[in-house]
Amino acid sequence: MLRDVALQDMELDTLNLHLKKITALLSAVLGASLLYAAPVQAQSATPVPDNGTFDVEQLFAGTCGFCHSAGGRAAGKGPQLMNSPRADDFLHTRIKNGKSGAMPAFGGAFTDAQIDQIVKYIRALKPREG
Amino acid sequence: MKERWCKSGLPLIAGATLMVSSAFAQSVDTARIENGGQNDWLTYHGSYKSYHYSPLAQINANNIGNLNVAWTHIPGRSTRGLQSMPLAADGVLYYSGSYSRVFALNGATGEVIWSHFPELDEALISRQTHSPYNRGVALGEGKVFVGTMDGRVLGLDMKSGKVLWETRLIDSQKLTVGFTGAPLYAKGTVIIGAQGGEWPGRGPIFGLDATTGKKKWEFLTVAGTDEAMKTWGNDSWRTGGGGGWMPGTYDSETNTILWGTANPAPLYDWSGADYKTQGARPGDNLYTSSVIGLDVDTGRLKFHHQELPHDAWDFDSAVGEFVMLERDGQKFVVHPNKGGFVFVYDRNLAVKNVWRLVENINFVKDIDPKTGALIGRRDFSAGKVTEPPLCPFIGGGVSWNAGSYNPKTGLYYKIGQEWCMTLDVQKTTPVTAPQVQLNIGADFKMVPPPGGEIYGHLDARDPITGAKKWEVRYPEPPLGSVLSTAGNLVFVPDSRGILHAYDAETGAELWSHNNGTGHQGGIVSYSVNGKQYIAVAAGFGGMLADEYAPNFGGVYKSMPRDDGALVVFSLK
Repeated sequence: MLRDVALQDMELDTLNLHLKKITALLSAVLGASLLYAAPVQAQSATPVPDNGTFDVEQLFAGTCGFCHSAGGRAAGKGPQLMNSPRADDFLHTRIKNGKSGAMPAFGGAFTDAQIDQIVKYIRALKPREG
Repeated sequence: MKERWCKSGLPLIAGATLMVSSAFAQSVDTARIENGGQNDWLTYHGSYKSYHYSPLAQINANNIGNLNVAWTHIPGRSTRGLQSMPLAADGVLYYSGSYSRVFALNGATGEVIWSHFPELDEALISRQTHSPYNRGVALGEGKVFVGTMDGRVLGLDMKSGKVLWETRLIDSQKLTVGFTGAPLYAKGTVIIGAQGGEWPGRGPIFGLDATTGKKKWEFLTVAGTDEAMKTWGNDSWRTGGGGGWMPGTYDSETNTILWGTANPAPLYDWSGADYKTQGARPGDNLYTSSVIGLDVDTGRLKFHHQELPHDAWDFDSAVGEFVMLERDGQKFVVHPNKGGFVFVYDRNLAVKNVWRLVENINFVKDIDPKTGALIGRRDFSAGKVTEPPLCPFIGGGVSWNAGSYNPKTGLYYKIGQEWCMTLDVQKTTPVTAPQVQLNIGADFKMVPPPGGEIYGHLDARDPITGAKKWEVRYPEPPLGSVLSTAGNLVFVPDSRGILHAYDAETGAELWSHNNGTGHQGGIVSYSVNGKQYIAVAAGFGGMLADEYAPNFGGVYKSMPRDDGALVVFSLK
C-alpha cells in the first residue's frame, strides 16, 4: 500500500533498490535526496491512487480531521462542517484556495472533481452512533 | 567588559551610548552563550543550561508593584500569533515574527535598528497547514540565524540585517513543511530541525557552517542509521514522520548536541497490541519520540533514548528543554515529554528517573523510573476508542514552550495541562504526491478528563525527584514559556492574556498585567545600561491555540489569531 504511493517515479524505485544494500551513512544521504527526488508532477493530482477511488472519509482521518474535529462533526481548530450553513460553492472555493493562517489551500493537491466529492461528503455527514 | 572595549579601540566615554548600538555589538560565541551572562539572553533557552532563568534581581518580589510597560513593538502580520522567544545581546533585542520576519530593536526604547522580511512564495505558504509562525532566531559570530517557512536558513548581519548567506535545505514545495523553530548556534555550527511529525517524511535535523552557511551534516530522525532502519516494518520509514522542530542544546563537555525528536506518522496507529509486527509502521520507529545526542561537528549519533517506543499517541519528545543540573556530584539532564512525564537523564541520556507532572495520563499506566520502560501501554485497533478517553489530549500534558529552573530556589517551574480526547482510529494511506499531506490516522475531539474539568497548572517542583512544593491552577492551560529570576519571581504569560508574577518560593501572586491578547511565545529578561527589562511575546493562534475558542468560548471567541505585539516592561 505504501509502496504504490511512494514509488511513483522510476528514480525512487531505483533508489529503493540501492538503499537496501548500502551503509548507514549512505542511506542517510540518499534518504535525504529521496525527499527531493520526485518533482511535482504535472498530471492531475491523485492523492490516494491505491485502488483508483478517492476515499474522502480516509482523507478526513488523515488530513482534514486534524482541524475539523470528530471528522468534521464538531468545531475544533477549524469549524464544524456537518450541517454547515455555507453554500457548496463557498466550501469548494475554501477547500481550493484556503484561508490565510487558518485553512491550507488544496487546489494543488485535489482536482475540482475531487473537491466536489469532498463537498458531497461534507453534506452527508451525520452524527456518529454511540 | 573593560578589556573588550579597550581592544575595540573605542573611547570609553562613548560606552554608554554604544551599549545600545548594534553597530558595536560584541561577538556572541559559544563560551559567552555557555556562561549565560548577567545582562543578555543569547540563545533560545537562555544559555546552554536551558534554565530560562535570569540572574537579574533589580525587578524583584519587593518592588514588582512598580512594574509597567516600557515600550511595545508591533511586528505586523502576526498570522497564528506571535510565538517567538526574543534574544538580547549588548542592549539589542532580536526576535522573529510570523512569515519569518526578523527585527533588531533598541532594548531600552524599542526603536527599530533593522528589520528583514524574507521574500516568500505566498502560494507555497498557503498550502502549509501549520504556518506561518516562527519561534525564534539564534545569535553567533556576528550573525542572526533564522529558518524560513519555505525551507531556507538565513545568516543575517547582526549589525545591519543584511543577508550574508542563504541555504536552501528542504524542498518545501513538495514536502509542505519548512522551518518554524529557532536554530541553535554552537561551536561554529548552526543546528536546526525541520517541521515534522505528522507529515510523511523523514524529519531531518541539519548542521550548517555558521560562517558560510554550507551544510555540514544532516541527521534523519526516521531510520537515520542501519539499526533504526530495522525498526520500521514494511518500508514504513519512507513516510515515517519524525523531525526536530524545537531547538535543543549543546553540552560542551561531550561536544554533543542534545535534541528532542517529533512523533512518527501516522500519529495514531491501528496495530493493536502487536505493534512490533502489525499496523501502519511496525516496530519501535527509531529515532522518533526520542532524545538524541549528536556530535556537533559531524552529526553522528552518539547516544539516544526513545522516550516512547512506537509512539501511537503523538506524545513526542520535540520539547527542546534539556535542563543541565548538578547534584551531589552527579550531572543530570531534565527533559519533559509531551505525554506529561518528565525524564531525568545523565549526560549520556541514560535514564536516572521519570516523574509525573500531569495527573490525567492513561496512554500508559506508568513509566518505570529506573529504566524508562513503558508499563501498560494502550495500543489501539481501528475503530472508536472505548472508555476512558485518551489522556492527555493531542495538545499534550506539556506543550512545546519551556519551563524555568531557578538555581536560587532549586525549583523547576513547569506548566502542566489536564485534558483528554475522544478518538476514532482509522486506517489511512500516506499521501506524498503531488504534495505531502498530513497523516493523522484518526478523528478526534477534546474532552474533559473523566470526572473532572479541563485546567492547566504551574508546578514548582524538584527537577530531579519531581517533589512538588506548590501549584497554581488556571481554568485553561497556559501555552507560553515561563521565566524565573533572581528577584524571587516567576512569570507566567497565560492564554487569556494576563501576565502573572509569583513569589518563586511560595507561589503567591504578586502582580499581573493584561496584555490584551493570549500568550503562546517566549518571555525573557535582560538589562540595558543598568536597567532590567522583561520582554514577552503576546499574540494567540496556531495548532493548539485555535482549539480554545470552540472549546472554552469566553474571551477566546473574540481573540484575534492574526495579531501580536512584543511587550516590554521595566520599573517606573
